[in-house]
Order: sequence, then C-alpha cells, then structure tokens
Amino acid sequence: MFDAIVIGAGISGASIARELARYKLKILVLEKASDICVGTSRGNSATVHSGHDTLPGSKKAYFNVLGNAMYEVLCQELSVPFMRNGTIVFATTEKDMETIYNLKERADANKVPDVQVLDRKGLIKIEAGFGNDVLGGLYAPTGGIVCPYTLVTHTCYNAAKNGVEFLLNTEVSHIKKVNGMWLINTNHGNFTAKYVFNCAGTHADIINNMVSSKSFKIIPRKGEHIVLDKRFANLVKATISQTPTDLPGGGHTKGMGMMPSVDGTLILGCPAYEVEDPDDSSTQENGLNQIINYFVQYWNCFPISKDIPQFPKKDIINCFGGVRAHLDTDDFIIGEVEDAPGFFNAVGIESPGLTAGPAIGRYLVTEAANKYGFEKNFNFYPHYICKKPFREMNDSERIEAIHENPDYGKLICRCEQVTLAEIKAAIHAPIGASSIDAVKMRTRAGMGRCQGGFCSPEVLRILADELGVTPLEITQRGEGSNVLVGRIGCSEKEE
Amino acid sequence: MQEIDIVIIGGGCSGMSAALSAYKKGVKNVLILERNAYLGGVLKQCIHNGFGIHRFHKDLTGTEYAKKYIDEIDDNQIPYLLETAVLDISKDRVITAISPSKSLIKIQAKAIILAMGCRERSRGALMIPGTRPAGIFSAGTAQKYMNLEGYMVGKKIVILGSGDIGLIMARQFTLEGAKVLAVAEIMSYSGGLRRNIVQCLEDFNIPLYFNTTVTKIEGLRRVSGVWLASVDKHKQPIPSTMRLIECDTLILSVGLIPENELTISAGIPISESTGGAIVNDSFQTNIPGIFACGNALHVHDLVDYVSFESEAAGENAVDYVSSTSPISNDTIRVTEGFGIRGAVPHKIQLNTGKEKVKFQFRPDRPFGPSLVNIYSENECIYSTKKQVMTPGEMCELSVPIKNMKEDIRIEVVPT
Repeated sequence: MFDAIVIGAGISGASIARELARYKLKILVLEKASDICVGTSRGNSATVHSGHDTLPGSKKAYFNVLGNAMYEVLCQELSVPFMRNGTIVFATTEKDMETIYNLKERADANKVPDVQVLDRKGLIKIEAGFGNDVLGGLYAPTGGIVCPYTLVTHTCYNAAKNGVEFLLNTEVSHIKKVNGMWLINTNHGNFTAKYVFNCAGTHADIINNMVSSKSFKIIPRKGEHIVLDKRFANLVKATISQTPTDLPGGGHTKGMGMMPSVDGTLILGCPAYEVEDPDDSSTQENGLNQIINYFVQYWNCFPISKDIPQFPKKDIINCFGGVRAHLDTDDFIIGEVEDAPGFFNAVGIESPGLTAGPAIGRYLVTEAANKYGFEKNFNFYPHYICKKPFREMNDSERIEAIHENPDYGKLICRCEQVTLAEIKAAIHAPIGASSIDAVKMRTRAGMGRCQGGFCSPEVLRILADELGVTPLEITQRGEGSNVLVGRIGCSEKEE
Repeated sequence: MQEIDIVIIGGGCSGMSAALSAYKKGVKNVLILERNAYLGGVLKQCIHNGFGIHRFHKDLTGTEYAKKYIDEIDDNQIPYLLETAVLDISKDRVITAISPSKSLIKIQAKAIILAMGCRERSRGALMIPGTRPAGIFSAGTAQKYMNLEGYMVGKKIVILGSGDIGLIMARQFTLEGAKVLAVAEIMSYSGGLRRNIVQCLEDFNIPLYFNTTVTKIEGLRRVSGVWLASVDKHKQPIPSTMRLIECDTLILSVGLIPENELTISAGIPISESTGGAIVNDSFQTNIPGIFACGNALHVHDLVDYVSFESEAAGENAVDYVSSTSPISNDTIRVTEGFGIRGAVPHKIQLNTGKEKVKFQFRPDRPFGPSLVNIYSENECIYSTKKQVMTPGEMCELSVPIKNMKEDIRIEVVPT
C-alpha cells in the first residue's frame, strides 16, 4: 500500500514525485515505458520559456512564469545544465511589429521580468548579425535552455534517493476506488494508494476517464526538430524565432525557431500538427521539409547567417519528433478532480510544459499537503550531486578523475567525449540505464556526429557485461527492440 | 612534457604506413596514438579479400593486409600507445590524450601526422522519416558486430546505398544465412567498385535498384519494413512508386566522411569538397609540421592508395623535422572544374626542385570516353584520355610541375 502513486515519469511526474518526497509518504511512480523521460519530455526543443507569449490569465501563463523563476535553484540542486540565454522574437514587417507589441503586452500582463521591445539597432546589440529584413523584435532575457534528459532523470534520481520507488514497463489498465483507497491494476500487479497523480502525458485522458465523469480528450500533436552539428556552438547565443502569425491561444506553434542547446548543438523547429496515435513520435517527410524549407528561405534573417551564409544541410546530424498532449481548451488542467477526491490531474502539459513542470509539481503537492495534512519530511535531501561530464572537465579535473577511476581514461563515445566510467555510472544510477537509448539519454554517448556508429557496439557490450546478460538480450529501448538477432555460425536451436 | 619528433594520430592503415616510412627514412623518435585496444583500425573487421593487389601484388583480406603492417611495426619496435584517445591538438603541436593506464598526457611534437580515418554517414544526417526502432545500422557498424563481435544483426535486410561496405555486407549477410531483399541506390549509378557489384550482388542474385531510395522506416520496437520509392531527376521520391518491403533490418551504406574533429580543433581549414584538411603537395596542412593523409584527408576507394599516400606523408614529415623540406614562398591553388570533385592536393608549391605532382580526384558523375585536362590559368598544360570514369573509383594523375605558373584547374571534357 502506498500513500501516493504517480502515473508517468516525465517532467510533471518526476517533479511531483520529488515534491511528494518532501513529506513523510510512501510513494510509487509507475511508468509504462522501459525508461523514465521518454514521452513529450524527451522530444522537445529544450527551451525554458520566459512566458512572454502565453495567454494572460491562463494556467500556462501562470505556471510558465513561476516555473521559469525556479530554474536556477532547481538546476543547481540537481546538477543540471541550464543557461539563461535569452529569447528573441524578430519582426520583418510592420504587421509583425504590431504583434511584437501585443506580445509585450502579454509579457507585462504575465509579469515576465525585463521584456523589451527593441528596434533593429537594439536587437543587434543583444545578438549581432540579424539580416537586413529584420526591423526589430522582442527580447525576453529570462528565456533559457536546459538539458531536459538530465533535468528529468536527476529529478527522478533525487526522488529515488529520498525513498520514492519507481516501476518501469508498468502500464495502468484500471483504476477504481475501493474502501476509500485507489486500486490501480497494472500488467505488474495491483497497487493501492490514498492519492493518485495523473501525469500520463498523451495518455492522461484515458487515466482521467477511468475515475471521473468529467471526461476529456487529449489531441496528440506532433512536431519535428532538426539537430545541427556542434561546430556552430558559439555562433548563436539566444533562442531566436520569427514573429508567429497566430499567437498561442489561437495558433498551433510558437513559429519556427532556432534554439541553441546546452550541449552545443543547434535545434531547428518546429511544425505542429494533429496525429491519431498518442505514441507516434516518428518523423514525417512533410514536417521535416517544412523546417528545411523555412530555414532555406529565412536563413538570412537569423544572426548565424553572418558566419554561415547558407542553411548548412550537410551539418544536420539528426532529426526527431515529439508528441504533445493538447487539449481543446488550449490550457493545462491542474488540480484535484472534483468527482474523484484524492485524484489529481496534471494534464494537457504541452509547451511550455518543460518550463512549467517544476512549478506544477510544487503547486499540486502543496495543495494536496495542505488539504490532506501531509507531514513534513525533515530528512528530505534536495541535492543530486554527480561528477561533471568528462567533456566539461579541465585537464587537472581529468587527471584527478582518471587517478580515482581509470575508467575515466577510456573514451567510448568520441564525438561527445563520453568515458567508460560515465557509461558504467549511468547503468548503475538510482534508476539505471538498461538499453542503448537509456545510456544515450543519460550520457550523450551516440548523440554526436556519428550517431553511435562507432560507440554503439561498445555500449552494447558494456551493458551486457555490467548487467550480467548476453549481448543478445540488450535492446535499443526496451522489450522487443533487441539489437542483435543471433550468434554467427549457430543455428537458432543452439542459441 | 614528453617531446616526440613525429606523432601519428591513428593506428590504422594510414597511421602505420606513415609511421613506418618515417621510421625507415631515419626518424626513430616516432609514436603512434591509437584509441582502440589494437592496431589496424577498420581493416580488422574487413575479413573479405581484395586488399593489397597494388601494394603487395597479392590478393589479401583486410586483416591480412593489416597484419603485414602490424608485424613490421613490431619487428622495428616502433612505439605505439593503445587505448589512447587524443582529445586535442594545439596550433603549436601540443597533443592532449587520455588512456586508462597513462592518465592524461601531453606531448610536444615536432611534426604531427593526422591519420584518423573516416566515419559513416548516419540515418540522422540523411533525415529518413519514420520511427526509430532497433535494426538500423550503418554498414560498418553491422560489419563490426558480425566480424569482431560474432553476432548477426538481422535476418531480412534492405540496404540503402551501394557504397563498397554495403555491397560487401550484402554478400556476407547472404553467406551467413540472412536474406538481402534489395539494395536501393538513389543515384543512377553505384558509388562502389564495379568488381563489388559483380562479386557481391550479381553472383548472389541480389537486386540492385537504381534511382531508388528509402522514404520511410516502419516498426515501433524493431524495424518491420521500409518504404522504397523511385526518384525523379531532382532526386525527389515519386509517390506512385512507393512500395513497402517487409524486413527487420535497414543497412545504410551512404557515404563516408573524413574524421577531422582534431584537425578543426587545431584551427586547420577543411576543404568543402573532400571534408578533409586543405593540404599542399607535401600533404602539409596550413599549420607547418602538421600533415594529413589517408581517409582522414579524403576518402579512398582502395586501401593500397591509402598506404602509398601515407608513406609519402611520413617521408615529408621527416623532411620537415630534419629541416630539409622544400621551402617555397610561391604557392598556387588547385580548383575543381567541370566534372571533378575531391581533388587533392589543394595547393602546390613551386620552385622546390620537385618535378611532378600527383593529383587524386573523383569524377562527380560517370563519364564515358573523355579527356581530363589540367589548366594553368587558362592554358592547358596537361591532357590525358580516359575510357571510363565512375565516382566509385579514384583517379590519379602525375603531372610535371614545370609548366605550372598560375592557379591550376582540373576539368573533364567528354569526347
């Protein structure tokens, strides 16, 4: 029996689990996938939005601005790379400039700090190189970038270190109230809890509709992103997008943009369109072409064009899709469900969900704690401390690391400079990596230029060694995704 | 800090060839840095034959070819460090590397030879739409799993690209009991050697579809199929030709890219055409004392030519270290005219006493009977006839320097 069960281990579920751990509660997180951070929290633009464009008065606006302000402390506590690089929305027409002033009004209504409308000269002072067509724009200095994988995994690790249990590969099939307790059926048995937190992302409607007559439908929306090589790392600082034709609350996306990542790559994206399948994170030709066509046409507007005159198609290293949980109200649903006391929703968490997630967690858990009188856990330890990645160490730190553990001297992924020590640490982490993708997400091994061409066989072998299984059992990302199909020279019987 | 006359980065064919030639020419204080636990590089996973016909006048496997060099390195006691990954090279030729046994080391080199080889183009770089299941491998990665680790990567296989590694793997998959359903090539010709098309596909009745590409990958956990489509003359897929091939594996053999992260870290300019360092006719980069050769300089068709080129680079490094390199203030550029790509060298030094320069390049499309002309400014100073040229095969021309005055242009003139 648990006090609280959290369904879903994305940014919302992870944040809620960690906040719950501040109280004396027995907590379980259920995740249907083979790893944490696999849904919307994995496939997104890694942006910490300032909140300048969300509809004033909406939950999105409130939690965006609140969440944004939490990031410094949070990322310091959890050893997560985060940078306030600022956000710029540029205008190329007078009509765009009108929208920019509308955005400024929204920003002010949302209490986003220090937002300015700048003319061309002012913009160039912030980021040199805007094209001749750029008239001016909006600058929101609190906009930031974060590594979403590290944020979610370290939030989960910290929760786990504070006693939260995690069950992966566990899918909820039914929930009902029995004798005042929530009974949850899963493929791995039944669990009971006093409180349930629904953070099931694109499946949150199904979970909600199991307990509440107030049903709703998630509309899965997808968008692709394109990743450019690290060689542009120092050429762009701010997150830059063109003025959207529709503002959020009326449009599908914030418009096309160029997002530097904390890891030095440049992310381009992203379109948004509705899809049927809530798990469909595949990339579609149309979506990818939309990005390419946009950037081929508007490349000159972006400051990077001063160094790289044309869209560098050769430097694309990867592309990915992400599904977001959209509701037709275009806002988050956050709170206890009226006709299901003890059941809490964090639903419809699409953009700016990554930014808002930590604030949603704090708000929802505080509400629950106040209402149900949770007892404070004074042993809660807010830090997750880990060694900095080898690629970010200086020479003396590297010497020390190798001296302590010679595995730091064995480079496995050369593109991202990931060592054997770090891969072993990922496998033995509080919620350990058990697949190639899980290692990749935790260490960046395989995320660089060669996309794992050289290191994936080595990562596979390390996984097999560390987990004590044969290489044949190692998967790309969980059950059924085995990388290898048999031994050479053996018939299937011998295997 | 340790001081070494010539440090060679990479212990594959190129690095070993360069080290041996430097050693034999008299510089004994050389050191090879190799990140793997063995010398030989990618040759170690090439268990097929076709290596050494030019270099040794013998038909060897890749492993045998590598062994000849490894034995010679050991016989001469040429020093090398294994499991040693170079992290950085500075402009003044200080190398930073790590290894589990030696920790972080810094080496001051008088000369450096860049011999890091190349990597394969990935699915991500191609932006093939679809899901991201298990079962998508670049050809070399599949080769590594099979030949070094001993595991099969799939049973029903589609190969995209007709590069040499893909062709070789098509044959090997078949021999190991897998079914290769199709090889799709977006171009109207193969990027591989003619002999590999015959020996690896035709001999095994494996269909090769030209003007065809993979437009989508299906499958949630493991690849369940790929969509093939014919392409129009702009290389755009024709929707009406789309067809689903059920398979469990997609192999990509879609091109090789010289590995030049270290070259870039040293501030050496890279050629857009080859993807390798810009070098002069001594294989010296823009930084004096730093040389580049092998597949890190430009992707070769045969390892034999990697050896020849790297041996020359090794000798030039010796000349540099012993201050006998030709010094010339008169350098002219080489540009690629019609039909030419990947020309090496990019610059030629005049008045050094050297008589000839060796050009290497590929045609950018297949050509029938044609002339390859070399112009100095606009005057044709050299012309040679070719019966046939294909992008899969490198061309080599040895051209007298004495007539070269101004910038050089290489051009194909179909006849």
